[in-house]
Amino acid sequence: MNSTKYFRVVIIGAGPAGIGAAIALSRLGIKSIALVERSDKIGGIPSLYKKKTGGVRTFIRWSRGGIPVFGEEYANSLKRKLAKTDVKIWLQSQVLEIEANEKKIILVNPVKGIMSLTADAVIMACGSREKTPSERGWLTGSRPIRVFFTKQLLQLIDGNDLLPMHNPVIIGSDLIAYAAAAKLKYAGSQEAIVVDNGRGPKCSYVERLYFRRWSQPSFRSSAFKSVEVVGSKTASGIRLSKDGNLIPCDGIVVCGELIPNSELALQGLLKVELPSRKPVVGRNYQLSKPGWFAAGNILGGYHGAEWCYFNGRRVARAVKNYFS
Amino acid sequence: MNANGRLLYDWPDDDIDESLRFSDPAQLGEDPYDVVIVGAGVVGCALAYKLSQYKLRVLLLDKNYDVGEATSKGNSAIIHTGFDAAPDTLESQLVTRASRQWPELADKLKIPYEQCGALLLANDEKQYKQLDKLYAKAVSNGVDDIRLLSAAQARVLEPKVPNDIQGGMVIPRESIADPFTTLIAYAEVALANGTDILFGVEIMGIEAADMPIKKLFTARGQLITTRFLVNVAGLGSRKLADLYDGEIFDINPRRGQFLIFDKYSRSAIKRILLPIPTAHTKGVLVIPTIFGNLLAGPTSEDFSHDDEAVTDTTIEMLQSLLAGASRLFPQLVDQPVIGMFSGVRCNCSQGSYLIRCNDGHAGILTVTGIRSTGFTSSPTLAEYLVNELHKKCGLHLEINPNASDSRPASSWPGWWNRPFSNGKMLKKYPEFGRIVCYCEQISRREIIDHLDSPLKPQTLDAIKRRTRAQMGRCQGFDCQIHVAEIISEHCGIPLNKITKRGPGSEIVAATK
Repeated sequence: MNSTKYFRVVIIGAGPAGIGAAIALSRLGIKSIALVERSDKIGGIPSLYKKKTGGVRTFIRWSRGGIPVFGEEYANSLKRKLAKTDVKIWLQSQVLEIEANEKKIILVNPVKGIMSLTADAVIMACGSREKTPSERGWLTGSRPIRVFFTKQLLQLIDGNDLLPMHNPVIIGSDLIAYAAAAKLKYAGSQEAIVVDNGRGPKCSYVERLYFRRWSQPSFRSSAFKSVEVVGSKTASGIRLSKDGNLIPCDGIVVCGELIPNSELALQGLLKVELPSRKPVVGRNYQLSKPGWFAAGNILGGYHGAEWCYFNGRRVARAVKNYFS
Repeated sequence: MNANGRLLYDWPDDDIDESLRFSDPAQLGEDPYDVVIVGAGVVGCALAYKLSQYKLRVLLLDKNYDVGEATSKGNSAIIHTGFDAAPDTLESQLVTRASRQWPELADKLKIPYEQCGALLLANDEKQYKQLDKLYAKAVSNGVDDIRLLSAAQARVLEPKVPNDIQGGMVIPRESIADPFTTLIAYAEVALANGTDILFGVEIMGIEAADMPIKKLFTARGQLITTRFLVNVAGLGSRKLADLYDGEIFDINPRRGQFLIFDKYSRSAIKRILLPIPTAHTKGVLVIPTIFGNLLAGPTSEDFSHDDEAVTDTTIEMLQSLLAGASRLFPQLVDQPVIGMFSGVRCNCSQGSYLIRCNDGHAGILTVTGIRSTGFTSSPTLAEYLVNELHKKCGLHLEINPNASDSRPASSWPGWWNRPFSNGKMLKKYPEFGRIVCYCEQISRREIIDHLDSPLKPQTLDAIKRRTRAQMGRCQGFDCQIHVAEIISEHCGIPLNKITKRGPGSEIVAATK
C-alpha cells in the first residue's frame, strides 16, 4: 500500500524556478512546502557548470557587491538561501504520474518507496531540455556516437574532465551554442564551426562579443535546408544539403532550442500545446485545472537561470493569491 | 541463470574485464565444434536456442558486440499471422505456424508480447473491392479467424480511422512483441545450455571447406574448427559465402524507415492499422509498440550492397511516412515525433528464405534473403534449419535431457515489470527506486542487473535495448552520460572508453 502525505504546496523540480518559488512561498508565510527533485542535487542546470579559473562564465548573476556569480556558485547560493527556510527537500524523488483532479502526485524514492503527495497547490517547475535531432526536423542522416546535447558536454567536460571532441561542429547558433563553442575551445578543442538553418546566427552580436574572449567560431548557414549527419559508428562530418559540402568533424553538439518538460502535464490531461509542448497557462501562471501552476522554463521560450528564479517568485505570489 | 557455455569478447584495446577477453582460441577448448553459427541476428540466436536442446558443441559468433546489432534491431516488431503472405511458400508456412507458437514462446522466454490485432482499411471503392480477395488469400494461408467489416463496424473498433473509409478486415491474432529481448532470451538459454558465444569476431578466411573438419580464420588469424557451418550473417552472408565458394546469390540492403511517436498517442488506437497493399508495396502502417509508442512505417528503398548511408534517415521519407500514416489515422500527424530509425532488410534477388544445404561443400548451410518476417518465423525457421542440418547435411542429433527451453521469471525486463511497484522488492533493493532514465522511468538497479546478466553487455546501445534507458523522448539528454558512468564504474572501463556499440564508437574521441 502506498503511503500518502499532505503538504500545503508541492513544487516539482528544484532548479532555479522551483527554488525561487519555494523561498518566496516561505517568506510569504506559507508553511508545509515540499520541494521534490528527481536528480540527486538541487540547482538544476546551473549546478552542472563547474567553476574553473579563466574558464567560460555562463549563468552569471551580478550580485549586489558587483562580483559575478555563475554556474555552480550560483546554484550553491540558491541552496544556502533555501537552507534558511523550512522547505522539505526530497531528492532522488521522481514523480511517476499526477492526478490533476485530486491535486495528487505519485513519486518513487529509494528510501521512501512509492509515495502519494496531496497538496492545496502544485507548482510544476520541471524545466526544459534541448530538442533532439528528430524534433528539430531538419537534421537527418546517420545516428552515430558523439552527437551530444550541451548538457552532456557539461557532464563530460565539467563533470568528468574529459574533452569528447577536437574538431566540433555545433548545430544551433543561440547563446547556448556560442557558450558551448567557447567551452570546448577553452577545454582544448579546435575552433568550432557553428551551423544553423537561418540566414545568420540566432545569438545576438553583443552576446557573441562576450564569448569572443574564448573562441571565434565560424558560422555556416544551411539556408533552411536539411543538414545530414555523416559517419556510421562515430560522427565524422555533416553535409549541408544546399551545396553538398562535407564539413568534417569528430563530434557534433546539438545546442539550444529548448522544449518544455511537460510530460507530467500531458499525462495528467492538463492542456498542453503540441508540438511545442508548452503547457497552456491562464492568468497568474495557472494551468488548465485549479490548483496547478507552472514556473520557469517549462513555460516555454528561452530563459536563463536568473529569469527562472524571479519567475518562481512571481508564481509563488500567484499561489498565495490563489489561497486567499 | 547459470552460464554453462563460454562468453567472450574480442575487444582490441583490452578495455574489458580480463575474464571476458578473447585472445586465444584455446579458451574455447581443443575439440572442433559440431556447429559454428556465423551471425547472432534473430535467425542465428533462434538456431542456437534450438540446437542447444541437443548434445552438441556449438559456437554462436558475431562481428558486432551484442546480439542483434544489424538487421534484427530495426524492424516493426510485428508478429505476423501470415494472412497476406504469398500462399504455399516456405515463408508462409513457417510464419503461419510460428504465429500460433508465439504466445507460448513469449511466456517461456519472458518476452513482452501482446495480441493487439490488426485492422486493414480500404480507403476507396477500388480498395474495397480487393477485400474479398484478401480474405480468400488469408484463409488459404491458414489464417481463418479474420472478419470482413463495413465502414461503420471498422469505426466501432477504431474510432480514429478517417471518415471516408469504405470498409475493412480485422485480423485478431496479428501481434506485437519486444524484438530486442527476443534475441537476448534465445542467446541466454543457449548459453545456459552450453553454447559458446563470441562477440567482435569476423570470419575472414576459410580453409578445408571440403573436408569433414572446416577451418575458420578470424580477422586476427585465429583458427576455429568445426564440422558444420551455418551462414546466417544477413547482409554479410554473401561475403562469407564467397569464402567457401557457395552458390551464386545477390543480396542488397532494402531500407525501411520508421517514425516513432510519443506515448500520448498510444491509447488512441488499439490495433495495428494497415492499408490495402498495392502491387508494389505493403504501404505505410501505423503500429503500436509493446513499449507504448506508435510507429509509422516502413518505407521500402533499395540500396546497392556496399552503400554506407543505408541506415540513414531522410527528410523526404519523413514527409512520405506522415502522409501515409495520415490515411489511416489522420490526427497522428499532430502528435510529436520523438525519433526516426531505419531497419535494413536483407533482400535477395533469387528470392526470400533462400536456404541451401551443403552449399559449395558438404556440411555448410547457407541461409539468406530473410526479410520482414524473420522475427516472426524465428522459432519455426530454426526448427526447420535443425531438421535440414540433420536430414540433408548429416548432423547427428541426440536430445540433451538437461537442457532448458525457458528463462526464469526474474528475466522479465524491468520496464515491463516495474520493480519499484513491488513494495517488497523496493524495500530489499532500494536502488530500484533510484531513477536514472527519467523518460522511461528506469532505475539504477535495473541497469546494473543487466550489466551482470549472462551476456554481460558492455555498450550504451546494448543497455539501451535491454532496459529502455536512452530510448525515451529526450533521447538520452538526461541519462546517457549517467548510464555511461554506471557502465564505467561497474565494468571497470574508463569513462572515455565507453562505447555506443563497440570499438570505434567511443564517447570521447581519441587524442591525436
